[in-house]
Amino acid sequence: MWADGDHRRLPGDAGQLPHSRPRHRGARTMIPLLLLLLPAAHGIVELGTIPALTQDRLEGVTTATTFVLEQPRCIFGNFSNAVIWLVVALDKDASAFNNSAEPGTPETAFQSFPDTVSAYMTLNATLASYPCPKPAGDITVLRVGSETSCATDVSRPTCNGPLPGPGPYWVKFLALEGSVPVAETAWSERITLRTAKPLSSISTAGSGHSAGMIAITAILSILLAILLAALVAMLFSCGSDSCGSSTFSKPESVSVQRYNTHHVYDQAAARL
Amino acid sequence: MAKSDDCMHILQGLLVFGNVVIGMCGIALTAECIYVVSNPHGAYPLLKATESSGIYTAAWIGIFVGLALFALSILGIIGVIKASRTLLLVYIILMLITFAFEMASSITAATNQDSLTPNVFLKQMLERYQKSEPNNNSDDDVTKTWDELMRQNHCCGVNGPSDWQNYTSAFRSTHSDADYPWPRVCCVLDAKGLPVNLDGCKLGVSGYYNSNGCYDAMSGPVNAHAWGVAWFGFAILCWTFCVLLGTMFYWSGIEY
Repeated sequence: MWADGDHRRLPGDAGQLPHSRPRHRGARTMIPLLLLLLPAAHGIVELGTIPALTQDRLEGVTTATTFVLEQPRCIFGNFSNAVIWLVVALDKDASAFNNSAEPGTPETAFQSFPDTVSAYMTLNATLASYPCPKPAGDITVLRVGSETSCATDVSRPTCNGPLPGPGPYWVKFLALEGSVPVAETAWSERITLRTAKPLSSISTAGSGHSAGMIAITAILSILLAILLAALVAMLFSCGSDSCGSSTFSKPESVSVQRYNTHHVYDQAAARL
Repeated sequence: MAKSDDCMHILQGLLVFGNVVIGMCGIALTAECIYVVSNPHGAYPLLKATESSGIYTAAWIGIFVGLALFALSILGIIGVIKASRTLLLVYIILMLITFAFEMASSITAATNQDSLTPNVFLKQMLERYQKSEPNNNSDDDVTKTWDELMRQNHCCGVNGPSDWQNYTSAFRSTHSDADYPWPRVCCVLDAKGLPVNLDGCKLGVSGYYNSNGCYDAMSGPVNAHAWGVAWFGFAILCWTFCVLLGTMFYWSGIEY
């Protein structure tokens, strides 16, 4: 983390290197000691955790104006007095964010984001809100962008308002004790929100004809054609009485008359 | 001579049987089409709004075709038994006209089915659901129908709640995305009609919102009706084809 401007020198090497003047031993140890003290004076512990979108399978992980982060549990364990803030910045401005910026001021107000403010701070909570360890089965998330009531209310600069565009956004958590930053996480990966396609892009063209419909149409057309052809053939060939003369006869009631040529049999029966 | 006489008798018997079957099928077709017309399923206003309600046209044609088939089958039976050329000629010609009408009905029902893709309903829903100034009654109907549909079938949108995220809509222009990622009816509702857990619903936690789309619930009854009309009509026409061919052959065999 810290490095001498020069090569590192171990005590006792001074005599072996040419062109070196022996330095006072005390001065040599002073510089690393001073350098060791510097981060402690700054006070910011850089935690290596990267904030990320929630791993839970939620339908609304990202919507057009909100996204859902994992809560920073078991990360800020040593800072029980600190207030943990969420810093949201646009992609290009993330590196320019100054940790000493104070929340609740016009420089970090949500309502001016992203026009005049490059990053805003919101969702403040104490460590008590993020108890560790996380109970199994609970869904512990932070929904960024859920407060719509204060989105235009400049008296609430720490509003967790809906994000103004699809991003991409970078976020990080910053722990402040009073107004002094004491710890921060790394910046997250880029978070891009959903964009809605225009309604007119939905094509309602039919998906073509199904097999069933084609089968019905084709078969019925063929059947109708055959019937019409048969009708025409029937009428033309049998228009006159040329058909059916020998094949079938109408079942009319045929009365057969019996003619007796003589009345002989009756008279004979009468005589007997 | 006797043999061909027997043939003709057999043909007569077959034709009478064929006409009896046609008569019964005609009655069945009428009954089925009356059922389709008078028993519109819940999504009927949506169909009307898409202006492609060809299924109802097909069903109305089917009612009259069924009655015509029944009447003509009686005419056919009489004509076959009396072996009257005139009657049978009238029968054949009227049957051909009925055949053409039923063919139209069957093809209309089948074609109509193909045009009802999910995108048609999706576009209609996004354009008209909760439109702030409804142009006419049908917009109101669309909203009410969708609400009913989503409540009763516990579904959301056509493909899912993401329909409202993926596309712009009339709903989105009046309801902010942060408060209403999807309409409230997509949430699991309690007995009073309020969401059980509003935050869970907005987040999309499974169990507090309806994650499946309504297309299946909607298209099921419509498909069943349409294919019923189309395929039953097709079956009747195949049978009628055979009977008509037989009748034409019989007619040409009748002594004048």
